[in-house]
Amino acid sequence: MSILNIDRRKVIVGLIIGAASIRSLLEGTGFVSTAAAQEAAGGGRLTLHAIDTYSGQTRPDLRIDLSIMENGAFRLLKTVSTVQGGRTEAPVLEADELQVGRYELLLHLDEYFEGFGADLPEPPFLGKVPIRFGVFDAGQRFHVPILFNPWNYSYYRGS
Amino acid sequence: MAGITTHVLDNETGMPGAGMRIDFSVFENGAYRHVKTVETNAEGRTDDMILSPEETKVGQYELLFHVAEYYAGKGRQLPDPPFIEDVPVRFSVFDASQHYHVPMLCTPWTCTTYRGS
Repeated sequence: MSILNIDRRKVIVGLIIGAASIRSLLEGTGFVSTAAAQEAAGGGRLTLHAIDTYSGQTRPDLRIDLSIMENGAFRLLKTVSTVQGGRTEAPVLEADELQVGRYELLLHLDEYFEGFGADLPEPPFLGKVPIRFGVFDAGQRFHVPILFNPWNYSYYRGS
Repeated sequence: MAGITTHVLDNETGMPGAGMRIDFSVFENGAYRHVKTVETNAEGRTDDMILSPEETKVGQYELLFHVAEYYAGKGRQLPDPPFIEDVPVRFSVFDASQHYHVPMLCTPWTCTTYRGS
């Protein structure tokens, strides 16, 4: 547990620095970037990158449920799993599959960390983690990187 | 100190996230039951603890941060639907004698949460 606590502090400092960097990167960008406008003709897509900051490497086998909000409730669209590298084998949604709406990626962090015997309390601080975001233009690419460990997570609109 | 507390930091302005609405729920019988709605003060904290040490039990909880509403209230132009809108943070209390500080660091395009102190 003591090792985990040290890691936690380091990761929190890292995340705060990271958030500041992300902010500076995002400043001045509009909702439609030049790159996004170029992509509009080819259709949008949804991709993700799950980065395990506990292991310091991107492991496979994180189960993620993708849902879309319909009539006030999330409806499951598909379940995907990360491969080596922390991404999914194919885009989560491509072309016509991506529609304007509110989405949720539910990360099964509890079973992921149990899978390789991480030292966690019972119940773990983070179990099933919902990552919610809106897609406001189906012609754009939405890349959602997620940095996570047993004590924190962060996500943002990437590129 | 035990119990549950939060702190909203607006990473877009580098200021405390004042006036953000937060719904607090507890997981019971397979669903989250709404317990209370609070609003952050000028420091981005809540006037009272989300849950006092006496009230805090082992279990699963949710803090739902109304991030888009907060930015809209500041006149920030957001897409529709916003990328970051209502952000649920679900966490477990595994030892009621410990303190659970669960901050939210946000911008309209990012959010971060962690177990703080």
